[in-house]
Amino acid sequence: MFKALRNLTGRFFSPGALVILIIAIVTSTIVALLPTREIKGIPFWVSAQPHYEAYLPLVEEWNREHPDAQFGLQLLHASALERRMLAGFLSGTPVADLLEANIGVAAKAFLGPVEQVGFHDLTERLHAEGLYGQINEPSFAPYTSRGRIFGVPHDVHPVLLAYRSDIVEAAGIDVSQIETWDDYFRIMRPLMQDFDGDGRPDRYLLTADATRADVIYMLLLQAGGTLFDENDHPTVNHPTNARVLAEMTTWITGPNKTSIDVGAFTAAGHRQRLDGLVIGTLVPDWMAGQWKMENPGLAGKVKLMPIPAWEKGGRRTSVAGGTMIGINKTSEHIEESWEMIKYLYTSPILAERTYRKASIISPAKNLWSLPVYDEPDPFFSGQPSGRMYIDQAPHVPHRPSSPYTETAGQYLVSVAIALKTYAERNGIYDAASLLPEAQRLLDQTQADVQKMISRNVFLQEGDS
Amino acid sequence: MKRKFNIAPWLFLTPFLGLFSLFTVWPLLHSLVLAMQQTYGPGHTTWVGLHNFTFLFSDPLFWKATANTVKYTLGSLFIQLPVALGLALLLNRPNLKGRAYFRLIFFSPSLVGLPFVAMLFAPIFERRTGLLNVMLHNLTTAWDPDFAWTQNYIMSALIIAAVWMYAGFNMVYFLAALQNVSKDLMEAAEIDGAGPWQRFWHITLPEITPIAGFVTLLSVIGSFQLFELSYIMLNNTPGPDNRGLTIVMYLYQTGFQTGDLGYASAIGWVLALMLIAIAMIQRRLLKRREEL
Repeated sequence: MFKALRNLTGRFFSPGALVILIIAIVTSTIVALLPTREIKGIPFWVSAQPHYEAYLPLVEEWNREHPDAQFGLQLLHASALERRMLAGFLSGTPVADLLEANIGVAAKAFLGPVEQVGFHDLTERLHAEGLYGQINEPSFAPYTSRGRIFGVPHDVHPVLLAYRSDIVEAAGIDVSQIETWDDYFRIMRPLMQDFDGDGRPDRYLLTADATRADVIYMLLLQAGGTLFDENDHPTVNHPTNARVLAEMTTWITGPNKTSIDVGAFTAAGHRQRLDGLVIGTLVPDWMAGQWKMENPGLAGKVKLMPIPAWEKGGRRTSVAGGTMIGINKTSEHIEESWEMIKYLYTSPILAERTYRKASIISPAKNLWSLPVYDEPDPFFSGQPSGRMYIDQAPHVPHRPSSPYTETAGQYLVSVAIALKTYAERNGIYDAASLLPEAQRLLDQTQADVQKMISRNVFLQEGDS
Repeated sequence: MKRKFNIAPWLFLTPFLGLFSLFTVWPLLHSLVLAMQQTYGPGHTTWVGLHNFTFLFSDPLFWKATANTVKYTLGSLFIQLPVALGLALLLNRPNLKGRAYFRLIFFSPSLVGLPFVAMLFAPIFERRTGLLNVMLHNLTTAWDPDFAWTQNYIMSALIIAAVWMYAGFNMVYFLAALQNVSKDLMEAAEIDGAGPWQRFWHITLPEITPIAGFVTLLSVIGSFQLFELSYIMLNNTPGPDNRGLTIVMYLYQTGFQTGDLGYASAIGWVLALMLIAIAMIQRRLLKRREEL
């Protein structure tokens, strides 16, 4: 045997080449023999694990009841779903009939001419069948492009302020006294302390930073600011945006700095939150669900409250993130897919399951009376967190569907950083004095965003 | 005398030429056509002539990406290559024991893939809990533990990670060059009373110049193609204020995230022209040095 092998080696292969050949044959055989899981039914892609887990039993039940219109639910990584979806829409490669896409991914489908959007136009169906009226109206905005609705929202994602109730209550602070941001920083101020004597605070009051596009955008929307109007024209230099940026700059720098950046989902961020580095964080419902999974040590140490308003009587919530479900317009199963959407998105069972698994409240208004939303939530120290989010749901601000929202958000970060640098360089730390510079920077950015959009001839075509 | 046409070499070349034409020449030509179009995926295109190029030169994001890429390239050239040469000189000492082990240790980081290096370095530069900030704060309380390396000094952080990864790799080239430096010349210089610095400057450096030129060119080309390291270290974003945006990352964002393959092709062509220009300048400089 060895002799034969040696002969073979000597004649045709060097020992190294033989090893490579053997490895190639063995591994190829293993791969060829591995069983492949074939998903039967009309393809239905989702990218969020909690959604997949919540849908699976319902889809299985549907499949039992509809043997002629079975769906094959498949969980894809978000990046894989994005690439496969865009490749399919742009080049005609196979795409699922039914897809759930998050807000950032869905927006990318709206870049071209409106007739080229890969999702089936649901506008007429939604109105004709009354589904539009059943669902929280602002939640449709991110999936509406040039007046046409291409997706049904999976969620509302209102935002509340989560705060370290153990620390706040131990200091005798009553959060019911807080109505505005000014109140918040004034009342919470005694909590900022330097524990190790290095001259720097080891506790801050809010998670915010010039580099945090998500936080800036939530604050801006809450205040009534926008990046795009209802026709998707840029409004980056909206005076409210300037005001928010000027105010926020006084929180993140200067002698009265009260805010710090704590990573939203990083291990370090979770540790810092647990250590009490920061008291308050803006938390949409989905983030509450993630905290429960990723940072269970916070259970019983945090509570929720409506976000402090920008002025008395102002909006106490904002909105962040989102997912929609849509139908591939080249699908041969549009009717079945539409029925599946209604079956899932109006299901009280699914609403309850989604809430229990991910703390996400349903956008269907008739489901807001489900008892599950009133249950005390041990993570949030026994508060009925579901009900608290639902109370704010009707007040979430409208968001644009512009595919340039993400880019405009990045520009906004650039402005926030530039404004912070300006404040530090000139020693200006009051909002009123920073306002003209904030407005100037935003005017400049508005021109940049307009120029970028003007390059897209397809969007202009669809616009006109 | 009339040369007889021999078909045999062409037959041998046919498989290569076929594949080369299909996978290199055709995409290259097609990308040139694409660069003159605005696209929404390959299915929807509009002819825009040179508009993509004119827009590119007035696009602040492109210039930001170029500035970042040049910063990183300069860091690679002026930090990474001297470190690599220094390591090679250390390992080239005649009486060094365990040379093979050191060579393996210094070379081993380059065996790790770029995405892993990025994932390894991201927590090192973390605010407050990152290894670097904790170490510096422990050394002196004047150091702010919240110092945001990957926000304020992204390019520095990337250069440090790249030095760790590539210094050992480039060291191998320098070591090979150093081992070919004429020993006779070195001995003669030593007998003539030349000190270590004079020997390095007048003998070693001229002898290794061709290899150094090659390594420099490779580093410049590699640095201009920076993508994975910054993309992963910055969590699939260009970083705050686009401070980590590189030319290739911008190309990727434009072509594969927003579907504008035409603009991405224009960026690709400008990048290629930049690299060709750099290679030509470098070649000319080397040639002039050889003539001297």
